[in-house]
Amino acid sequence: MTELFINDEEVTVPAGTSILEACRSNGVEVPYFCYHPELSVAANCRMCLVEVEGWPKPAASCCTPVAEGMKVVTETEGLEKDRAMMMEYLLINHPLDCPVCDQGGACKLQDYAVEHGMGKGRYIEAKRIPTDKDLGPFVNTCMTRCIHCTRCVRFADEIAGTGDMGVLNRGDHMLIEGIVEDALASELSGNLSDICPVGALLDKPSHDVSRPWEMKRHKSTCTQCPQGCDIEIESRDDEVMRIRPAKDGVEPWICDRGRFVYDAFRSENRLLKPMVRQSSGLQATSWDEAIEKSVELLKGKRVGIVFSPDWSLEGLTAIRLLHDVAFEDCKVAFELHRRDTRPFAFEEGLSMSTKAIEKADQVVILGSDLRQRLPILMQRLRKRINSGKPVTRIGSMFYRTNTTMAADMLIRPRDWAAVIASAMVQLTELGKLAAGMDAWLEKVEVRHDAGKLLADALIADSCALLVGEEIRSHEDAAALIHGLDLLMRAAGHAEEGKDGRNLLPEGMNAQLLSSMFGDLRTSAGDLFEAARQGEIDTLLLVGSDPIGDGLFSQQAKKALEKVSLVQVSSISGEMGQYADVQLPASAYSEVEGTFVNMEGRVRIADNPLRSLGEERPMWKVMMRLVQALGYDVPAVSLEEIRSQILDLSPVLTTLGDAWSGKDVKAMFIPSARNRKITTLPAALPMKTLDLVSRYSMYREGAWARVSDLLSEAGRIHAMDDVIVHPDTLINLNLQQGKLLIVSDTEEAEYEVGLRTDVSVGVVFVSKRGAAGDLSNVASVELKGGQ
Amino acid sequence: MNLIKRHLKTWLLWELVMGLALTGRYLFKKKITVQYPEERTPLSPRFRGLHALRRYENGEERCIACKLCEVACPALAIVIESEEREDGSRRTTRYDIDMTKCIFCGFCQEACPVDAIVETQEFEYASETREALYYNKDMLLEVGKRYEPQIARNLAADARYQ
Repeated sequence: MTELFINDEEVTVPAGTSILEACRSNGVEVPYFCYHPELSVAANCRMCLVEVEGWPKPAASCCTPVAEGMKVVTETEGLEKDRAMMMEYLLINHPLDCPVCDQGGACKLQDYAVEHGMGKGRYIEAKRIPTDKDLGPFVNTCMTRCIHCTRCVRFADEIAGTGDMGVLNRGDHMLIEGIVEDALASELSGNLSDICPVGALLDKPSHDVSRPWEMKRHKSTCTQCPQGCDIEIESRDDEVMRIRPAKDGVEPWICDRGRFVYDAFRSENRLLKPMVRQSSGLQATSWDEAIEKSVELLKGKRVGIVFSPDWSLEGLTAIRLLHDVAFEDCKVAFELHRRDTRPFAFEEGLSMSTKAIEKADQVVILGSDLRQRLPILMQRLRKRINSGKPVTRIGSMFYRTNTTMAADMLIRPRDWAAVIASAMVQLTELGKLAAGMDAWLEKVEVRHDAGKLLADALIADSCALLVGEEIRSHEDAAALIHGLDLLMRAAGHAEEGKDGRNLLPEGMNAQLLSSMFGDLRTSAGDLFEAARQGEIDTLLLVGSDPIGDGLFSQQAKKALEKVSLVQVSSISGEMGQYADVQLPASAYSEVEGTFVNMEGRVRIADNPLRSLGEERPMWKVMMRLVQALGYDVPAVSLEEIRSQILDLSPVLTTLGDAWSGKDVKAMFIPSARNRKITTLPAALPMKTLDLVSRYSMYREGAWARVSDLLSEAGRIHAMDDVIVHPDTLINLNLQQGKLLIVSDTEEAEYEVGLRTDVSVGVVFVSKRGAAGDLSNVASVELKGGQ
Repeated sequence: MNLIKRHLKTWLLWELVMGLALTGRYLFKKKITVQYPEERTPLSPRFRGLHALRRYENGEERCIACKLCEVACPALAIVIESEEREDGSRRTTRYDIDMTKCIFCGFCQEACPVDAIVETQEFEYASETREALYYNKDMLLEVGKRYEPQIARNLAADARYQ
C-alpha cells in the first residue's frame, strides 16, 4: 500500500496504482478521454494532467504511478490553463454539430468543453474531413468527430481480439481506420459505441432516433445466453430504444446478441394479444375466450409440456405448479439440446465465478464454441491469455476465439470416451486415483492423444474444466460426464472450495431447473415421438421453439402436425403456424422477476417496462390456466409465488433475503453435483462420419430469429451450411460441390463447403441452414451427388 | 365661510361640472382607440405568437431534430420523432406542437440552434375545434412558408440584440 496526498488529503492506495486511479477511487474528479479502466493505458489525450509537488512539469496522471508521500494537486490555475489549451487542440478538428450528434447530452467532450474549455474558438482555418467508414450493421461512424483517443483500437486489440481497428499516420494526419470487409468481425462490436468518448462511433440501429435525456433506464438481466449479464434497458415511453451494459454490473461489456436483440421487442412477431385459430387463421380475441379455448384443448386430455428455461424463476415455478395441480402424469421437457436425460454427475451450471475461472492455473475448454455461446466468458479467457496464462482446448473444430490457445486439438465426437480414458490412464500413472475409475476404464478400449492435453492441465493446482455442448449433447453424455467427474476427483479439483467442474448450460436458470424439474425430465425427442404416435393430444408449449432451436426440429415438426398446440409465449415465430391458441406472456424486459445465471448468481429485476399489449407475466398466465381448469389457485400474488418457490426448492432459502431487499450481489446458488451416480460408457454404434450441429449467436433463440438486426449480422457472418475438412472428401474419393448426405431417416443433397480448421471425419451442419434438420443425427454418410 | 362654500358647491353640482369638463376636454383631444380588426397596434419583432417551422432558401427544412426545443418546453407541448433520412441527414418524422398546451414562453426558439422553430407575430388562429390547435409538421411548415418574409424581417431587426 502507498500513502500519498491528493489535494492535501491523505489517501492510501495499492502500490503501482496510477495517480488517476487513485483520484477516481477517492472521489477526486480528474478529466480524461483516453483512459479506460478495462483497457491498457495510452496516455495520448493529455487531459488528465495534474501537478505533483516538486516536479517541474504537470504529469499525465493516467500513466504516472503513485509514490510514497507524493503530493498531488488536481486544481490549480496553471492546470486550468493547460486543460483549456488541451480542449482547444482537441476541438480544432471537431465539428460543432452537437445538435445532430447522438452523443450530445452524454458526451465527455461536450461536458469538458463547458467545464474546462475557453468558451470561444480561435481557429478559423478549414477543418479536415476524414471519410466515414462502413463497419457493418451495428456501428455508425462519423470520423470528423474523432479525437484520436484510440480507445476503439485498444478495445479491438485487447478485448475483442480481432484487431480490426487501427491507426494510420500521425499528428494532424492521424486517422482511425477500420480494417474490415463487410462488418466488424467481433461479437462485441456494439461496445465500441459505448467506449467512444465522443460521437465518432455510435450505435447504428438507434442512430438519429433518440437523445440521451429522453431515456428511462430499467435495470434488468439479459436472458439471451446463460451468462445473464446485467443490462440497462433504455426506453422512450414504452418502446425499447437501446440495451447497454449496466454501469455497476459485473462486466462492463455485453455481446451484440444481448444488445441488439431489442428490435425483437417491437417486431411484428411479438405476441401482444391472445389469439385463437379460426377457419381463416389466427384471430385476435379476448383473454376470456382464449383461456376458454385452451381449457377445451387441455382439460381431460393427455398433455405434454415443453418449456424454455429463460423465463423468470417465478414463471418457471408457476409451470411446475400447473403441472403438479393439473397435469401430474404428463411428460415435461425443457432441454431441447440434450439427448441423454440420465442424471449427470455434475449438472448444468458453473461451480466457480467467471472471475475465478480467469484466475485459475489451468482452463480446459471441452467441445464448446465459447465465442458464440458465451462471448463474455470468452472475453474473460482472452484477457487471461493476454496476461500469459494458458487455456487448453479440445473439440471437433478450431472454433474461432480471436486469441491463441496454449494447446489445441481436434477430435471427433465419437472420440470423447477415448480422450477421457487416456487422461485417466495418465493420471493413474501419476498415482492420482478415484474410486470407480477402473470400472469406467474397462468399458473403453481405445485411447486418444488428446487425453494427454487434458491430463497435463488437470495436474495443475487449480483447474477450471469447461464442459461444452459437444459433450452435453452427446448420446452418451451421462457416461462422459461421469468420466470427467472421476478425472476431476482424482486430480483433486472436486473438493469444496476448489471445485472446477463446470458444465456450460444451454439457457438461464440451469441450477434451479435441475433441482426443480430434475425428477420430471423427459427427452424432448421422446416427447415429440410420443406425440407423433398419438400418445399425446395437446402440447402446451411455453416459450420454446423446438423447430427453430435444439436438436429435435424434425421430430417436432412431425409431432406438431398431429397434436393440438397451446402456445404461451412472447413471440409467435415459426410455431404460430401450428398453434391453436396463443397466449401472450411478458418479455423479460417487462416482468418483475428473479433470474439465476450459469454461475448461480441471483438477479432480481424490479423496474420493468410497461407491457406493449395485453401480455401478462408468465406466472399469471399459468395461474389463470389453473383456475380455468377448475383447480384451487396455489398463488395469486408475486409474494405467494415466491413463497411457493421456497417450498419447492430448499436450495433457495437464501432467496428470501434477496426478495426482502437485502444485498444480493454475492448470492450464488450452487448447481447439483457430487451425486452418487455411476454411468459407464456404452458401446456406441459404428459411425461413418460424425455430425455436429453448429451454433450461431445471431441465428439461434426465438428472440434472435425475429430480430432483423441480428438476422442481418447472421447473414454477414454465416459460414457454409455444411462444412467438412478437405481430407474427409479425399478419403471418400469425393469432389467438393453438391453431395448426398445419407442418414438413418433421410437422404438429401446439400452444397458442401470446405474448411481446414475442422476435424477430419466430421460433418458440420449449421442449425439454421439448409441442412438444419439433420441436427439430431449423430452419424451420416457422404455420397457423390448426381 | 367654509360652510357657505360647501353649500354653494353642493347646490350648484360643482363636482359634476368638473367631471363633465374632463369628459368634454377628451372629446376634442386626438383619439387613441384602435379599430381592431380594421386597425392594428404595432407589434414588437420579439412578439411571441403562432409557431412556424422554417426552410432554407433552397427549400431544405431547417429542423435537424436535435430535440432541444422539446426538452426546453416547460409545458411539454412539443413532440418530436426523428430518423436518419436516406441522404444520411438527421430529420424529423414528426413535429407536433399542441397549441392548447403551449404557454408561448419562447424557450423553443431560444433553444433552436438553427432558427428552425420560431414564433411569428400571428395571433389570430382561433378555431372552433380543439383538433385544429394540434399543429403537426406540415401545418407548421405551411405557417413558415406564409410568414417567411415577416420572420426574416423580425430576426434581422432583433439580430443585434442576440
